[in-house]
Amino acid sequence: MKTTFVSTLAIQNAMRLTVQRTQSEIMDAQQEAVTRRHADIGLELGATSSRHISMTRDVERMNTTILGNALVTNRLSSSQNALTQMAEAAQTSLSALLSIVDINDQGRLSVISNTVADSLVNFTTFANASVNGEYLLAGVNTDVRPMADYFTPGSAAKTAFDAAYLAYFGHTQNDAAAANITAAQMDDFLTNHVEPLILGAGWGTDWSSADSTVMTSRISANEVVDSSATINADGPKAMAMASVIVAEMLATPLAEDTRSVLVDRATGYVGDAISGINHQKTALGLSEQRVEKANESINIQINVMSKYIGELEAVDHYEAATRLTTLITQMETSYQLTARIQQLSLTNYL
Amino acid sequence: MSLSAAIRTAQSILSNTSKQTLVVSDNIANASNPNYARRAPTLQSDLGSALSVSVQRTENKLLLSQSLDSISISQAQMTVSDGFARLKATLGGNDNELSPSRYLGNLQTALQTLAATPNNTTLAATVVSSAKDLADNLNNASAAVQQLRLDADLAIREGVERLNGLLGEFEQTNQVVIAGTLSGDDVSQALDKRDTLLREISTLVGIRTIERTGNDLAIYTTGGQTLFETVPRSVNFVHTTGFDAATTGNAIYIDGVPLAIGQGVQTSAKGELAAHLQVRDSLALTYQNQLDEIARGLVATFAEHDQTASALPDLPGLFTWAGGTVPSTATIEPGMSASIAVNPALLPGSGDPLLLRDGGINGAAYVSNATGVAGFNNLLDSYVTGLSDPIDFDATALAGSRTSLIEYTSASIGWLEAGRSDASKASETRQAESTRILETYSRETGVNIDEEMTLMLKLEQSYKASTKLLATIDEMMNALLAAAR
Repeated sequence: MKTTFVSTLAIQNAMRLTVQRTQSEIMDAQQEAVTRRHADIGLELGATSSRHISMTRDVERMNTTILGNALVTNRLSSSQNALTQMAEAAQTSLSALLSIVDINDQGRLSVISNTVADSLVNFTTFANASVNGEYLLAGVNTDVRPMADYFTPGSAAKTAFDAAYLAYFGHTQNDAAAANITAAQMDDFLTNHVEPLILGAGWGTDWSSADSTVMTSRISANEVVDSSATINADGPKAMAMASVIVAEMLATPLAEDTRSVLVDRATGYVGDAISGINHQKTALGLSEQRVEKANESINIQINVMSKYIGELEAVDHYEAATRLTTLITQMETSYQLTARIQQLSLTNYL
Repeated sequence: MSLSAAIRTAQSILSNTSKQTLVVSDNIANASNPNYARRAPTLQSDLGSALSVSVQRTENKLLLSQSLDSISISQAQMTVSDGFARLKATLGGNDNELSPSRYLGNLQTALQTLAATPNNTTLAATVVSSAKDLADNLNNASAAVQQLRLDADLAIREGVERLNGLLGEFEQTNQVVIAGTLSGDDVSQALDKRDTLLREISTLVGIRTIERTGNDLAIYTTGGQTLFETVPRSVNFVHTTGFDAATTGNAIYIDGVPLAIGQGVQTSAKGELAAHLQVRDSLALTYQNQLDEIARGLVATFAEHDQTASALPDLPGLFTWAGGTVPSTATIEPGMSASIAVNPALLPGSGDPLLLRDGGINGAAYVSNATGVAGFNNLLDSYVTGLSDPIDFDATALAGSRTSLIEYTSASIGWLEAGRSDASKASETRQAESTRILETYSRETGVNIDEEMTLMLKLEQSYKASTKLLATIDEMMNALLAAAR
């Protein structure tokens, strides 16, 4: 006959499962109180973990985008700077050309001619500016120096011009026979023989190693902007054109009306150069603005997402700490109870 | 002659008391033996008025079969939960540092940085090295999954061996019970042993028992196969020595019928064996499929396309694998994640990392950067966006059918964590349930020392009383004899 409904073994083991579970919960609560994140995020979030991971990775990627954008901004402002200097060089040439008062004063003319030539040298230096080992104005062909120096002895551009002059007029530039060149002849020479050399096909072979395609950069998940400029544009070509004809022919013994045609044309080209370069600057300015806007919106996104990630993985550390205290109390109680129950035996009283 | 009858009665009291004391001390000795069922010594009077002691073993067949059931369920759930936990271990800790998802994210950021400055050889080498990390990670993950399958297979082999051993022991014990019952001996000890064996068998497979005449017991699995009926039935399993993604493990045959594998995260499996089958053939294989789909997605995303309009096939670019082709879309290519590698044509040393920018790993027809300019980043940018563009995946891998590769890697972790979370919760509740049932069973059939002590006191009293009785009868006899002298 059995009168009691509990066995000694059951009494002794009653607390075992509770103690086991409490111990593992204490470990978790301890970790949570310190790190303020779930002890095991995956176990807590289940299927939602995939979103947690995606967002964490997205935030990381957006941070990389911002770092990449800093690089783009650097390239844009450096290009902007180079173009400004180039426009200034063109401006110097223009001022020099406009300052011609007496068109026959050979001394003044050679000073102007030299000024314009110097401007071209200056212009070329800035066109070849580089940052981080990349030529800024070379289009996508960033590893090649884009603009050839016209005044280097034996430069292809100068050789081509000299050959064209000789072929058309039958003498060299400084020959006294230059005085016989008519205004119509000069006009025809410039339009049909020099322009192709500089504004036309000759640009690519003699002047420029740049690519006509400019660099593009992804500045946000779905926006790509132009992030550099190229010298294969109207501005730099017109500047070269103006500089070459002035440097080569202004100070030669030309007739007055022929020279005046030359000066008019040169002034026109320089004007084109300035407006062309300003156009390029505007395009880069737009890109700079886009990058700024993109960074702003990415930062907002990062903030929003970080907040949500925080909500997913964070625990209330105050709650965790309280839970820890409760659990410890519970453990102590169960230890004390177990100890007292173990002592509770009839044997002690017999 | 009533005095001599009284002596006989007193004698029988003595012998009964010592028999009862034996049972009580047996009970006390086994108070902490969980497999011991309490014996109750009861007095019963035979027709001839003599009292005798019969020993009854406390039994509760309903609770026993319930506890067998709960043991097998909780054991199976623990095994499945462990399987998930081992897969999770391949992903690293709380931040999933070692997951393909994390490595793919690193590759994408490296690519993005390279696209911003495409002629930077150092950055290109960085991209190739993060690609190599990703490929190595997939190789390792695949190896870990196959190791898990191999371990499950080994556990099955051990389990089957143990099951056969247990069934053999069960046969012997069952025979002792039957023979003892026939001859009317006390078979309590053999019955204890038999219950213990049942409990051990139920950790391996879910069982039902049917008691037949003469205390004979037959065991069937919950699936209906005969495990034991008079003689043990054979349980057969052929261990597979090595696993790869294409290997199919062998089934367990009980009495010639294959054992059904467990289904679902809250597993339908009862007993370790079916759960190990589930880990080996369902859980690990699904995860392997997901890894293979990630590998296939990588090869496809970074594939090189013909640039000459002569309809040449796509060929592997940054990532290549043992097959050396770009596999058809949305079809699992078993074992691809084990062989995926970075194309040697890009590795610094044996190749040129900048080919990644220009294309042309597979020959001139595949060159995208025809003029070879240094600032060309269209191809790189297409890789960066390609990772986020939706592509088709095989739906049988259970991590989505049309999503971007980078999301797919997260979805795969989502699948794993969802399973692990559910399995672990189920395991907790099922374990608690099993513990509770065992506790109840132990309350019903276990020994309470206090109760045995009170019983002992009672026995002591009756022993004292019967010795007193003997002494008194002795005195009476002496008095009688003295009077007659």
